[in-house]
Amino acid sequence: MHFIYAILIAGALGAVNILLLRMNNATPVPEGCEDLTPDCSACGIRDCALREQYMSQKGERTE
Amino acid sequence: MSLSSLFTLLISGILINNVVLTKFLGMCPFMGVSTKLSSAVGMGVAVIFVIFGSSVLAWLLYYYVLDPLDIEYMELITFILLIAAFVQFVEMFIKKNSPALYKSLGIFLPLITTNCVVLFVAQDNITQGYNLIETIVNSIAVPAGFMLMLVIFATIRERLSGCDIPEAFKGNPIAFIVAGIMAVAFSAFAGLV
Repeated sequence: MHFIYAILIAGALGAVNILLLRMNNATPVPEGCEDLTPDCSACGIRDCALREQYMSQKGERTE
Repeated sequence: MSLSSLFTLLISGILINNVVLTKFLGMCPFMGVSTKLSSAVGMGVAVIFVIFGSSVLAWLLYYYVLDPLDIEYMELITFILLIAAFVQFVEMFIKKNSPALYKSLGIFLPLITTNCVVLFVAQDNITQGYNLIETIVNSIAVPAGFMLMLVIFATIRERLSGCDIPEAFKGNPIAFIVAGIMAVAFSAFAGLV
């Protein structure tokens, strides 16, 4: 019975995640924040959300 | 739980068991977002806010859902999902209610999901057996220590940018050397409490 609870809780949290992600994407970005650029020195984490933007800003390859 | 032990927990999280210098967690933002003081402060504030919220929620989830149902083994999965959901919620909330705050923190919020310090604090509160008050204090102390390191490191790196550094040491090498010296300096706090 325990594993059913486990699946239900994981599923519920996953569903909450998807819902919040969709709601977040649907929320308009405030005025003046449309083109925020990463202000970091690119730590080297390849799957970082900002890496591609940072590298293209620097005019370098993303890999 | 006395006030003095809560204070000890606070000092311990900030100075003695500093998460960056003693456990080497959160090194990505520590190295990546410490080139400018303004970015470091923004990232630090965002980390404090997210760690505090997600750790308290994780504590409640563990003791009021996972523990009574005897499914503690789901701790890791549920905490990861909880942190990701909380970050999404915070980002959406800031977008809607505080454009100024979004402008300064918005770019860092997605990064925090992958910051291992967030998961560490959530799990540490459980493994140490902290109650809710201790969890709240620890969830403020650890990210405050992270922010302190970030700010100190950013100020040093800003000064270093104007220094004549040998070519081989420019960038990350000198930053790692500075971080190592800082770790040695902070180890002096070990006997404080």
